[in-house]
Amino acid sequence: MIPFIEARSIRLVFKSKNRDAVTALQDFGLEVARGEFVSIVGPSGCGKSTFLNILLGLVRPDSGELRLNNTPIAGPGQERAMVFQEFGLLPWRTVQANVELGLELKHVAASTRAERSAELIKLVGLNGFEQHYPHELSGGMKQRVGLARALATEPEVLLMDEPFAALDAQTRDLMQSELLQIWERTGKTVLFVTHSIEEAAYLSDRVIVMTARPGRMKDIIPIGLPRPRDYEMRLTPEFNDIKSKIWEVLKEELTVIK
Amino acid sequence: MKISDYYAAHQRGVLGFLSLIFLLAGWEILLTYVVPLDPFFFTKPSLIAAAFAEQIAGQKLWHDLAVSSRAFIWGFSLALVAGIPLGAVMGWRRRVEYTLDPFLTALYASPLVALAPLLIVFLGVGLLGKAVLVFLLSVFPFIFNTAAGVKSVDSLLINVIRSFGGKERDLYLKVILPSTVPYIVAGTRLAIGRGLVGIIVGEFFAASEGIGFAIQNYGDTYRLPDMFVGIIILSVIAVLLTEILRKLETTLAPWRSGEEVR
Repeated sequence: MIPFIEARSIRLVFKSKNRDAVTALQDFGLEVARGEFVSIVGPSGCGKSTFLNILLGLVRPDSGELRLNNTPIAGPGQERAMVFQEFGLLPWRTVQANVELGLELKHVAASTRAERSAELIKLVGLNGFEQHYPHELSGGMKQRVGLARALATEPEVLLMDEPFAALDAQTRDLMQSELLQIWERTGKTVLFVTHSIEEAAYLSDRVIVMTARPGRMKDIIPIGLPRPRDYEMRLTPEFNDIKSKIWEVLKEELTVIK
Repeated sequence: MKISDYYAAHQRGVLGFLSLIFLLAGWEILLTYVVPLDPFFFTKPSLIAAAFAEQIAGQKLWHDLAVSSRAFIWGFSLALVAGIPLGAVMGWRRRVEYTLDPFLTALYASPLVALAPLLIVFLGVGLLGKAVLVFLLSVFPFIFNTAAGVKSVDSLLINVIRSFGGKERDLYLKVILPSTVPYIVAGTRLAIGRGLVGIIVGEFFAASEGIGFAIQNYGDTYRLPDMFVGIIILSVIAVLLTEILRKLETTLAPWRSGEEVR
């Protein structure tokens, strides 16, 4: 496999004045191929979200190597975009203006922005809601805006930090299926952090299990299930086997208290 | 049928209007038929209305209003211009906040109108003394509300802007400013109330013109109906300004209304 995203021996320590330093990530690394859908699961506080922020370029690791398409990552860049757990929509902007945010920050012309946002709003199924404000939308719709905004800048890598964790179960199932369709259509490389084994197994090509803090790579579990996947697939014994396999690995970390 | 429909649709306005009518009618009846009217101590709506008509027709009321407005506008504008930047810095830089907070809080909590005699001694009975008093009273809501607004900026939104390669300037214009606007509008509403107190108290202490002086003067000379005219005009102005601000708030920040602090 030719790695598209490559992280090696990442170490990050949170230092704070009043508390002991906390090692969030220790010798963490991974490789993701272009167009791959990889999920990261791990116990709370294992540093999986922190790792996404490092990849995004918002947090600088204390040491380690980070490459995207063989170029070192130093700060935010157009090839990467994040979908945030709490959506991160600007409440004073309409759906359309929110989707256009990234383009605006890159000084894309207004007419191109409008064209691009219209296209993406349609892709995530929000047509008719262009002029609505976030507070008028449901959680699922808000995250559709978040997804459209991330896709608007045409990134190669989509970083998703527990994007569906704040949604109710049914909306979540629906959003997962739609994400898969969009992924299949756009061919983005996706790095997806989640707490849910089921979600990871359903969406991913591979699932990375992290250890409890300090976060290290524990295991990589390939999901050999055929695509396109549908909801019924979740009811098959093969799917359950994979879920229990991930659970077996993760379980050990949940009982370790450090 | 038609009346009940109208009532259902406008219950709030109808009840409010009726209660006002009943109050005025009760007051009028009480002092006309029940209690003998001693014009030195009591007055009634019909007399106030007559005084009102007379004052509106005359020159003095308009002159007093102009004098008071000038001092109010000066003090209030300066408070706005000084308070918002100071509050923004306080909200953004923790050290500035820690340094200034003790005495700003003390000043805000104290009844600053107690300073009025001192200010009049220093600055005289004219425009300056009154404007300074208005400034002192109304600057704090601007400072504290702006600071609270800046502090409440969601750090997630800051990260969103940064993740798309936004610069420092983008943070200010696209996140910090818009999320602070509702707080500033709410602060303005508080500042109006306090500023009006400033102008009136300033004119109570020492002045020869202005609406506050007029109220004081009519009171001293037992012209109660005329005094009430001044009081009513003040309430109307206060209500109008507050309502305009409320409208402005929903226009500027349709996504939510700002919180008033302290």
